[in-house]
Amino acid sequence: MFGRIRNKSKSGRNNSEEIVQTGSYGPIPPSADAVKASLNEIFSNCCDFILREIACGKNGAIRILVAYIDGFVSKNELNQDVVRPILDFLANEESPGGSSIYNRLTDCIVVNNDIHEAADMHQAVDGIISGEAVLFIDGETRALVVGVKAPQGRQVQEPDTETSIRGAREGFVENLLTNTALIRKRIKNPNLKLEMMHLGDRTKTNVCICYIKGLANEAIVREVRERLKKIKTDAVLDSGIIEQYISDNRLSLFPTVGSSEKCDKLAGKLLEGRVAIFCDGSPHVLTVPYLFVESIQATDDYFDHAFFATFMRLLRVIALTTSTLLPAMYVALVVYHHTVIPFKLLLTLAASQQGIPFSPFVEAMLMIVAFELLREAGVRMPKPIGQALSIVGAIVLGEASVAAGIASNLMVIVVAITAVCSFIVPPLLRASMLLRFVFLIAANFLGILGIAFVAVAVFVHLCKMRSFGVPYMAPFAPLTVNDLKDAFIVVPIWAMITRPKILRQQENVRGAKGSQRQEVNIQQ
Amino acid sequence: MTAGWRKKAKGMVLLAFLLACLLLLSGCWNYKELTDINVVVGVGLDRTEEGKVLLTVQVAEPGSIQSTSGHRSGGEGPTKPVFVVSHEGETIFGAIREMLATVDKKLFFSTAQVLILSERLARESLEESLDFFQRDHEVDYLMNVLVAKDVSPAEILAMESDMDTIPAVYISETVENTSYRGTGKKTMLIDVIKDMDCKGKQPVIGQITKAGENMVRTEGLAVFKEGKLVGWLDPYETRGYQFAMNDIGSAIVNIPAEEGKMSMEVFRSKAKIGVEFEDGEPACLMVKVRLEANVGGHEGKGKLDAPEKISALEEILEETIRKEIAMALEKAQDEYSSDIFGFGMEVHKYHPQYWKKSQDEWDQIFSRLPADIQVDAKIRRTGIIINPVIKEH
Repeated sequence: MFGRIRNKSKSGRNNSEEIVQTGSYGPIPPSADAVKASLNEIFSNCCDFILREIACGKNGAIRILVAYIDGFVSKNELNQDVVRPILDFLANEESPGGSSIYNRLTDCIVVNNDIHEAADMHQAVDGIISGEAVLFIDGETRALVVGVKAPQGRQVQEPDTETSIRGAREGFVENLLTNTALIRKRIKNPNLKLEMMHLGDRTKTNVCICYIKGLANEAIVREVRERLKKIKTDAVLDSGIIEQYISDNRLSLFPTVGSSEKCDKLAGKLLEGRVAIFCDGSPHVLTVPYLFVESIQATDDYFDHAFFATFMRLLRVIALTTSTLLPAMYVALVVYHHTVIPFKLLLTLAASQQGIPFSPFVEAMLMIVAFELLREAGVRMPKPIGQALSIVGAIVLGEASVAAGIASNLMVIVVAITAVCSFIVPPLLRASMLLRFVFLIAANFLGILGIAFVAVAVFVHLCKMRSFGVPYMAPFAPLTVNDLKDAFIVVPIWAMITRPKILRQQENVRGAKGSQRQEVNIQQ
Repeated sequence: MTAGWRKKAKGMVLLAFLLACLLLLSGCWNYKELTDINVVVGVGLDRTEEGKVLLTVQVAEPGSIQSTSGHRSGGEGPTKPVFVVSHEGETIFGAIREMLATVDKKLFFSTAQVLILSERLARESLEESLDFFQRDHEVDYLMNVLVAKDVSPAEILAMESDMDTIPAVYISETVENTSYRGTGKKTMLIDVIKDMDCKGKQPVIGQITKAGENMVRTEGLAVFKEGKLVGWLDPYETRGYQFAMNDIGSAIVNIPAEEGKMSMEVFRSKAKIGVEFEDGEPACLMVKVRLEANVGGHEGKGKLDAPEKISALEEILEETIRKEIAMALEKAQDEYSSDIFGFGMEVHKYHPQYWKKSQDEWDQIFSRLPADIQVDAKIRRTGIIINPVIKEH
């Protein structure tokens, strides 16, 4: 484990050396042939790299190279907006090329709006690999980068992981710009800032910090920037990797960085003054700071009647507690604390225990592990087989194990309730899954006392944690009375006048007054 | 940074290891699986002539009670829902442990529904016998205590019941329903212990008798004085006592009415007792009962069509209940000289000076005092008909 960390720090250093190398492609040679040679060397063995030479002007005196990655750019657009105008306008051009042609291209030939200049070979290569077309002109040391990226990836659709009854069905996709557009669509305000940066020495993944200026705490935005810059890795394939790097407490089971696939949820978080991190290639957008209480919040809560939302919140708290503690409590009661079980229930329990060859602890372990196996299998296996699996699982876990005398009826019920409850609070699914085992072991050795020990340890840990400087257990610890309106209870949305105070936004009051003041700020 | 992290990780691994040791090396404190205990449902305490303790326990067999899970063990296993074992020992706790020579698993007492005391034990040594039940942490203070009259606890516990698979549950349920009749009293262990400790009130314990081949009757009371059984109250006296003690949930009181009988359903009753003082000396025992009743049945010919008739009925009802209370009070005063009503507590509360000097002879003083019993009855409704439906001749 430690060896790996050392290696990583070493490889980090190597990578930074590589960056220097890649940065030293040098200037763009004026000769088209030299450019051609240089590009062919850089992109040797890249079958998707396309370099096309256009010779136009009188006698083909003007040579223009078009370089792009096949499949990455929209060929239609490239032909319509770039190649055709060049051929049309420069067919009878008499000037020998060079800067004048470059200026004419940018000023009046290339139709596309998204154009910028590449001053050296490095920038030009960057443009090519990020899906843009680059034009090199013979006799000119600047290259023209034209954004003709083809729309890629799947369509915007409803996310599978976070479904809600009420609220938008749109979910994020793998394409970063689609994602940022989805947010822009919801927050039509120039104060919504999107800061782009590239992470991963090899993958050069586009990562975007998103926040609302004048709302998000500047210190937090700064901290996010700092932490992202500190990431030393060569590959960022998913926002999950960023999450692990920027988490406050990297070993904790509890998430201190939130992630969501839902646009409306993210917009809400931004408007609370949080900072979002988009990662190209991942439909999961991160939000920080992430507090414990957010795991029991759902978007439906704000769109629905407040009483109902409050009831759902309480239900989620109960579900979270149940899924973590129920098997442990059951084992503790059955092997230590018979005195607190009501008489008739005790008879039922004792009857169901009869003839079971295992101790309740072993029995619980077997059943829970069996359930986790089924769950994992359900995630991994192809969807059509899922149904067969669930039937087998239900029969094996529910019916056959009881009939065979391996597990008691009540244990099956306990594990079933635990399983159902564990899906109700998805962000804490993994934490409660692992803690369940810890609690179970403690319960078997020390009964309720053991459960209390572990619970105290967990709470101490939770209260100690911070997410980007914000106490994790806020608004409960430290008690922020103002923020309790959106914790276990939900007040109606018209009464939720202030944003979560603990995030220390620049503007705490929602509504007209707040936004007016913001506009004044802009004028200044 | 790496070195610091490594140190921290090492520390945490060490801490986790030590914590694991703490858990694993301590062994399994008090670990007992449900299949390793015998679920005691009824306890009987008797005293032999040699002064030994005769302990009887009724133990439930969960497997045979739960028919749903019973099919798993097939034809084998216990078929009877309970078994009863008796054992003679020097002390109660001793007898419980010695019993393990004949019983397979450790006895678990929290589930005991009833504690049945024999008459002999109650007459000789109630207080000594209950010490174990107060001291042991496993005993449920809310279990019902009964004194067996004319029958031994072992006999009662050995009876099978047709009403509930577990006889002890059947017994405790008949005790629970006293709130609908008032002729018995639900006495929990905690009540007995409290009364034993209190100087101004003598304990009473519900009474249990045999009512047939496999039936019991929980009616009447056992009256104690200074920790020893001194006598009994019959069902009507018991009801009078319960009226005075403000312990009636509902009761049916039969009264004579014109041309027949009437059953009055008392559905609300409030009572207060007190001691009247004159010149610093107690002069009179006061019992005030206010109750509300409905006409529950009229087995006769009379009519209830006028308010005067209702008030006449109220007077008869008051008189009937007054008599029941008087019977109980007289018996406690004259026959047993035991202040089971707790008038002493009232004296203690309102005349502490007097109580201080005379608490030791309170029982004699109590026995001498005249009683003033006031009953105020209100008849609220006559049911959904007014007059009996009888064909006019």
